[in-house]
Amino acid sequence: MTSSITTASKGSKILGLTSLVGFVVLVLLAFFVTDPDIRFHPETGEEFGQFDAVRLLYLHVPLIAVTYLAFVVCAIASAGYLVKRTFWWDSMAHAAGEVGTLTCALVLITGSIWGRPVWNTWWEWGDVRVMSTLILFLLFLGYLALRGAFVSPQRAARPAAIVALIAVLDIPLINRSVEWWENRTLHQKSTLSELKIEDLTLFTLMLGILVALLVMSWLILHRFRVAWLEHAEFEQGIKTAIEERRQIDNED
Amino acid sequence: MKSLEELTPRQDRIEKKNSGLFAKFAGVILLVIVVIVLFRTLGNASLFFYPVDEAVEKRVELEDRRFRVIGTPQPGIIETTLSGRQVLVFTLCTGDIYADVVHEGDPAELFNPGVPVVLQGVWREVKPPSIEKLLYSPNDGWHIETDSMVVKHDNDYRSDRAELESCSSE
Repeated sequence: MTSSITTASKGSKILGLTSLVGFVVLVLLAFFVTDPDIRFHPETGEEFGQFDAVRLLYLHVPLIAVTYLAFVVCAIASAGYLVKRTFWWDSMAHAAGEVGTLTCALVLITGSIWGRPVWNTWWEWGDVRVMSTLILFLLFLGYLALRGAFVSPQRAARPAAIVALIAVLDIPLINRSVEWWENRTLHQKSTLSELKIEDLTLFTLMLGILVALLVMSWLILHRFRVAWLEHAEFEQGIKTAIEERRQIDNED
Repeated sequence: MKSLEELTPRQDRIEKKNSGLFAKFAGVILLVIVVIVLFRTLGNASLFFYPVDEAVEKRVELEDRRFRVIGTPQPGIIETTLSGRQVLVFTLCTGDIYADVVHEGDPAELFNPGVPVVLQGVWREVKPPSIEKLLYSPNDGWHIETDSMVVKHDNDYRSDRAELESCSSE
């Protein structure tokens, strides 16, 4: 007889399907419907702009938005664990931290791909935003490594929660770096706060953020449920081990 | 009284211990990487980057040192040869301060008048070639000899806007 344990529910299936449809619409809009970034020089009349490279805006920016959010959820859940000391908070922190690390890696990859045509470099060691994002990624990679460094997942929860609360402090640094160190970054200032985006470009970016949020929620939900099952299995493993040892003791 | 961990199956204990050691080792490696990244960032931070006015002001102080400079290329970019090498000659500005540049190597794909660039190179107390063709040259007997170019594009994604950095309007 095969087991029918699944992390899916009716709600998560709807969420997954909505995410998938949203992603397809986003790809269509971002790569086929929206215009490339082409402007004309007021003096020379020559074309300039990011041309088709601008389409990475619709992936890169939503990814960084959900990375921030996932790590903030991780930090809140970590604080929740330190107060309540329940497995629910720890699992939520773990799930959000794992998903955030994944999206943070994608931020670095899409940023690098975008940087090549637009900045003329794959990577810029002197850029404070690139570096602070890389540090955020490494900190949460360390957070995940720490979680795996303990025999018992419960013993990892407290130190991991403390690391998450420290690591999340890097986020305001990343976000404000373009203002604080304007001459130490190739990143431009915020487009949304200055409203230098409009019409279909703005709509597609907003859709991208919404889709990224849905995908992130779906991933965290399933990762949380997997962690819950892992916990149940771990508990069951201990119970089984005790039973086995008792049987051996009885046989002796 | 025995702890719960002692009651777990032997094989599982060995595997868990090994994975724990590996994760600790990975954690140490990660920490080393973070320190290297921080060191490199801080090491480069002083290099990154002077606006043209500041670079001109520190011209004597910078001497033969390589530095990075950010500025807006002005219309009138000249392609020419210097000692048999293909170079670009143009004028860069920040505010109302201008500096001539001789750039060797491929320009960035988005290189265009009005689009700010970050260049890396050294000051040379020599007039650039073809200076008479430059429209905005300060003609001060100096130029920056550069070999690295990256672009700092603006944050405007409105297609009908051409808000280019213009030195004269600042």
